[in-house]
Amino acid sequence: MARRTIGQAERRFAALVLLPAALLLLVFRIVPLLWGFALSFTNANGLGSADWVGLANYQAVVADEAFQDALVNTVLVLSTLPVWIMLPMLLALLIHQGVPGGRIFRAVYFLPAVLSSVIVGSIFNVVLRFDGSLNAALKAVGLHPVDWLGNGWTALLSLVTVYLWSTFGMSVLIFMAGLSTINQEMLEAAKLDGARFWARLRFIVIPTLRPIIEFVAVVTTIGLLTGMFGLIYVLTAGGPGTATTLPEFLIWLEQGKLNRPGYAAAISAVLFVLMAGVAWAQVRIMSRNADL
Amino acid sequence: MIDLRHVSKRFGGHTVIDGVDLSVEEGEFVVFVGPSGCGKSTLLRMIAGLEEISSGDVWIGGERMTDAEPYDRGVAMVFQSYALYPHMTVAENMGFALRIQGLGAAERRRMVEAAARKLHLDHLLDRKPAALSGGQRQRVAIGRAIVRDPKVFLFDEPLSNLDAELRVQMRIEIARLHQTLANTMVYVTHDQTEAMTLADRIVVLRGGRIEQVGRPTDLYDDPDNLFVAGFIGSPRMNFLPGVAAGPDSVRVAGLEVRVPGLSSRLAPGQEVQVGLRPEHLTATEGVEVPLAIEVVEQLGAMAYVHGSLAPDVPVVAEWRSGRPRVGERVPLRFDPRDLRLFDREGRRIR
Repeated sequence: MARRTIGQAERRFAALVLLPAALLLLVFRIVPLLWGFALSFTNANGLGSADWVGLANYQAVVADEAFQDALVNTVLVLSTLPVWIMLPMLLALLIHQGVPGGRIFRAVYFLPAVLSSVIVGSIFNVVLRFDGSLNAALKAVGLHPVDWLGNGWTALLSLVTVYLWSTFGMSVLIFMAGLSTINQEMLEAAKLDGARFWARLRFIVIPTLRPIIEFVAVVTTIGLLTGMFGLIYVLTAGGPGTATTLPEFLIWLEQGKLNRPGYAAAISAVLFVLMAGVAWAQVRIMSRNADL
Repeated sequence: MIDLRHVSKRFGGHTVIDGVDLSVEEGEFVVFVGPSGCGKSTLLRMIAGLEEISSGDVWIGGERMTDAEPYDRGVAMVFQSYALYPHMTVAENMGFALRIQGLGAAERRRMVEAAARKLHLDHLLDRKPAALSGGQRQRVAIGRAIVRDPKVFLFDEPLSNLDAELRVQMRIEIARLHQTLANTMVYVTHDQTEAMTLADRIVVLRGGRIEQVGRPTDLYDDPDNLFVAGFIGSPRMNFLPGVAAGPDSVRVAGLEVRVPGLSSRLAPGQEVQVGLRPEHLTATEGVEVPLAIEVVEQLGAMAYVHGSLAPDVPVVAEWRSGRPRVGERVPLRFDPRDLRLFDREGRRIR
């Protein structure tokens, strides 16, 4: 009986200390999420009362060319994923191998990751605009200037490259952490087994780093889907046309510029489903590796 | 098979291996033994090509291998941590070197199965290392080495991660393997029992230098110095402070004892360390000395008795008859021929 009383007291205390965090989560995460989801079924315009419109917003989203363009842009952006994985992995590998000045490279790679996207965007605006320093350099060596941010293809490519520059340092660090956990004796055993650098990379390092590679892939995908707003805003504003519009930017456009919170909420819900799919893949991948 | 010619290894200003010369014959089982930090693993890794050699030369199979890559040396190594590839099955682990060599899947499978049978691993070939016990993993690591049919097997403390019972089993398996394969094997351990039981010859290292090389019984019976005498044998040799009483006699534990067979003459008054192994303190005949028993380690068939022959002269004696009791004062006997004398620098006086 006494034990049961202590157990109940412990549970009450546990509930008490969990309550503030639970309340914060509820008020700032769950309620807005549900409210946003509810909003997606209305014609709310942020001014007056909102009427229930059923799936009309979702039907409009599916038919919306801007949204379709944003999805195509998303696919194009996500198609660069192998670069996002291979580049940091190879750089981490080189640093891990002890190239001269490895520590400096590590710091240099990571430095842009602490800059806000607005600052990064402003820097590259100076570099990439038509009369910017990159074109000046091209002209200096006799090449034609390129309208990096004014041409549809180069604008998206520029955006992705700038985002890569500003964030890949974090992936380098993650890969370095992963490399430091690889049993050195295992690599030495592979050397004795006759595996030279590329064979060790292919047969030992990459399979051993698989959980890290998958983690970086998932985190990078989430970053590409949700983290490029600042750069788009400062560098291209989604243009030219919709060439650099991604769903996240479109949400802001509908919500902040066109004053259609109901419609923006519907796009958010679709993006949420996409993100949930990524999260589900992440959980599945992690659990698959748990028995390794 | 292996020739180390004045090899040294320096890390910064610190010398880890200091001018080691050693020849290992074909088919020989040589064990490097010594305390932690003596350089035994470093020396093994220098043979394997996993550590650069600061100076000197390594020859394997008649070829100079000082600067050769590990895979070109014809050596296979078994690591303390097993170093298996966790994402590969046992068969894939064992066949990895063959795959790198470009052998076909069928040929690989045949060679892996042949090696697996030798090590009783044939029923585990499709498992991954995580699903194996420590002993099984170690056998896979050995199997991976066997499959390659190397000129030389190198073992870096391969049994250190196993429990006591398994260690004894694996020790016997390795000894059998050496008899079967008859390959050259170099084995590193800090466990002198492993060294004594496995080696054709033992190399005792300290501070990056070789203290003595010899057959296990030679090192045990005829150590070159105080360090080897103390390192080889468990419990270690008793060392008693003594003083030369004559050209061939010493005063030790209150007794004056003539030491037969000395070829050098002692200077009267010369300080010496007198070495006497625990099993030599319970001879049936010889010089008698009283022992005050302080602690008894009973092991069943025998006991180790800790006590003092005189104030500040502690010793351990191996006791094979009767049941010694703490507090008893019993007479012990030793044969003076079993005494080993060492000078103040720890060098053997012969």
